Amino acid sequence: MWKREDAKSQGVAENSSVASGFGKSQSFDSSNSFSDSSRSAATIGQGIRIKGEVSGTEDLFVDGFVEGKLNLAADCCLTVGPNGNVKADLVAREIVVRGKVEGKVIARDKLQIGSTGEITGEVQTGRLVIEDGATLRGTVEAGRMEVSKADTKAVAAAATSTANKPSPQPTVLGSGTAAH
Amino acid sequence: MSFLNKLGIGVGGPRTTQGARHEVSGPIHLTSRARTPGAPAPQAGPSRGAVEGESNRLSNGLKELLWNLDGLERGTLLDLGPAWQTTLSFFIERGFRVSSEDILFAWKSFLNEEEARLKQDFAAGETLEMTPSARATRFMKENLQYSRSSFDAVLLWDLLDYLEQALVKQVVASLTELLRPGGVVFAMFHSKKPEGFQRYRVVNSNTLQMVPTAVLCPPQRVYQNREIQDLFGRYRTMKSFIGRDQLRETLFIK
Repeated sequence: MWKREDAKSQGVAENSSVASGFGKSQSFDSSNSFSDSSRSAATIGQGIRIKGEVSGTEDLFVDGFVEGKLNLAADCCLTVGPNGNVKADLVAREIVVRGKVEGKVIARDKLQIGSTGEITGEVQTGRLVIEDGATLRGTVEAGRMEVSKADTKAVAAAATSTANKPSPQPTVLGSGTAAH
Repeated sequence: MSFLNKLGIGVGGPRTTQGARHEVSGPIHLTSRARTPGAPAPQAGPSRGAVEGESNRLSNGLKELLWNLDGLERGTLLDLGPAWQTTLSFFIERGFRVSSEDILFAWKSFLNEEEARLKQDFAAGETLEMTPSARATRFMKENLQYSRSSFDAVLLWDLLDYLEQALVKQVVASLTELLRPGGVVFAMFHSKKPEGFQRYRVVNSNTLQMVPTAVLCPPQRVYQNREIQDLFGRYRTMKSFIGRDQLRETLFIK
């Protein structure tokens, strides 16, 4: 009721529509409105625990436990699923949080926190979308963010070099995502 | 009975409860948001059980707060309520760096954790000091951890009405440290024990939306003016706006 009127008057119609839409889908798939539908996402499943640094050049869905750092290239989306528990600094173009995140969150373009999402830590993002019921404990800095080219190149280089190395075991991550 | 008394607006003479109810929660009050900017008064009688929707109230306190913050190029604000999209967007769009910490939610979680810990480990009850003051100190060690003088404004909402008194003192002392000189605290106090529980979010520069939610913590006490002045004794200015809905909006300027 108020949302529609308010969104129009405040100029956040886009945000509101996205917020109401992204709660419907519980998995990161091509039907999600926030990602490039032509891309598939690597998945860290519910039973997976990773400690260390994860970097990559493709979209990533985390529904397991990650501790350390999670750094995706400039055009990548990161989704923390409802079962996801991430104690790490996150960097990606777009980040969707429906689980628990503890650490610094840098979403260059947009950060969405679903109603089940919990973030504890500093947040830097271009745009912020928060569903009612979301928990955010920390400082938010939102606005146009300069994408650091050096940072982007470093992430891409790290991901490429890791992808070129022979993998000792079958990886659950996508080809462009690396766990160190 | 005088003519005015018959109309229900008389002064003196016997006042019926019915007359009082007309004054506070008559149908005009309940239905005319535009005419009566205050919150709808709690309904009496059987209709009380109906789910009350979100409602708006004109907020002179918010207006005054913004006036005080006007001219800040890159302000910093601490919001101690829930993280609402509208509230955060409102201040972020005005160039603020916003920190969010839902103190009431954190307090409830803290109490639940302490209770669970005591149930699991009876010995913990002997080592932990269980006085309200000690409990408040333990809570404060994990919350409101920011640098001194790091905020220009704090949205305290009506949280103090719901916190234990020992914690209230520590929270106010902590906020005083966190505020810069000239910084502003925006607080609200109920003039009588609130019947429902609601959270607040900013709609625009002079309107707040009241969102009824499940009770997080029961109301602890109703603060009188003198008590409020004592609590915020280190602030140089206090300005209050009293609404028809028994809610006082108060600005404290450090």
